[in-house]
Amino acid sequence: MMQDLLANPAVQGGAAPFIAGLVVAVLLGRYRLGGLAVVAAFATAVYFIAGFGFTPLTATRKIILLGLAAPLAGIFVDFAFRPTRLGSTLLAAAGAAAAAWIFWPVLAQKDLARALLPGATAVLGAAWVVGFSEQRLAGDSVRSAASGLALGIGTGVAAIFGAALTYGLYGVAVAAGSGAFLLVQMITGKRSYAGATFTLSVTVVAILIASAAMILAQLPWYSVVVLALVPVAANLPVPAGAALWLQAVLSSLYGFVVAGIACVLAWHAGG
Amino acid sequence: MPSKLTAGLIAAALPLAATAAPESFTVDPYHSIPYFEVVHLNTSIIRGRFEKISGKMTLDTAAKTGSIEITVPTATLSTGDGDKGDRPRSRDEHLRSPDFFNVAEFPTMTYKGKASKFSGDHPAAIEGELTLLGVTKPVNLTVERWNCGPDPRTQGKRYFCGGNATGSFKRSDFGMKFIVGPVSDEVKLWMSLEAFRN
Repeated sequence: MMQDLLANPAVQGGAAPFIAGLVVAVLLGRYRLGGLAVVAAFATAVYFIAGFGFTPLTATRKIILLGLAAPLAGIFVDFAFRPTRLGSTLLAAAGAAAAAWIFWPVLAQKDLARALLPGATAVLGAAWVVGFSEQRLAGDSVRSAASGLALGIGTGVAAIFGAALTYGLYGVAVAAGSGAFLLVQMITGKRSYAGATFTLSVTVVAILIASAAMILAQLPWYSVVVLALVPVAANLPVPAGAALWLQAVLSSLYGFVVAGIACVLAWHAGG
Repeated sequence: MPSKLTAGLIAAALPLAATAAPESFTVDPYHSIPYFEVVHLNTSIIRGRFEKISGKMTLDTAAKTGSIEITVPTATLSTGDGDKGDRPRSRDEHLRSPDFFNVAEFPTMTYKGKASKFSGDHPAAIEGELTLLGVTKPVNLTVERWNCGPDPRTQGKRYFCGGNATGSFKRSDFGMKFIVGPVSDEVKLWMSLEAFRN
């Protein structure tokens, strides 16, 4: 009975990661580490779905490795540096380099004409999402959590429509962790601390999974481009005096609209 | 006298040596098809196949040895469901994704084996290794039927061998872990093989 429950994809990618994320958000929030909810959720999904084997080092396993390393880098950035434009630019460049490291071995097997568009989308998309989120969202825990929620859901559903269900579950897990981080803020009415600890955890996994679904499965490149605009949507203005829960709902809705467009495009792609 | 006897023995043995040499074959891609089957949701058996395989084979019936190397382009898989219809993607597209065969990252899988048992002149069992998703594991095949002879399509000018072989493996051993359970872990193989003597 329990084994069947834990084998259910909805539990593996949604319920179990959400519970793990919620526990971490509650316990570590007071130490400015509530953003680790995302990596807790992601790691829970990985544990149930694929495990932590890293041989051979496939593109998916590289993403898992980076997904586990991103929050560590985020903690280092948050505690060692002040947020600056230069810092965001460097993190964006690191995101681009990560995408190149993951996808180059696959793209190198294709001819240039077929490799250029998905390769450029993956590299530029990673740079944009990581850089923008760090620059504009990291200082606002509500907007960044709303962005993570919408980006995770959008990536997950679009990846499923792109014939990559495992990536779909990983995307949903990112959304579950972000949702847990957001929910704690909505219930308590107090903002948490996001910083690079949270934004890197979300953006690295989400955009690289979306790119993997494009390069290794059937997600169209323009869906990835639209997904990369989710953080922009979550950054749209909300009433300044509104209650925190209302700000959270509005920012999430903005993100969901853009994520929804990416999913519709993914559904209709492929003829 | 002894030297004449030796020369005579060598001369007599030469034709035997010639026939006992290992013969090399090239796999006929049009009549060599690996099929696979899995149990779906503990109910029906879903079958699929790969097309356009390539490979080579050696056979020495006198020495009871043989070997085979096959390369399978994974993108050629088909389960008869290639049209997505009103769904976002077809089953074949899903099978090509990283959930299963990950064909973009691993465009080929290979099988290399040696005949480990003969039944008369025919290979009866093959011990070999399957490389799938970058992982190499032992997979043994049982040769169910085998025959060699002149190819009637060429009025006997071409010589060929062929038969069927079966085997099985656990896909999770190769890292293919997506929904193990609802889709069975055990994958059964059934292969038709024909090869022309070079």
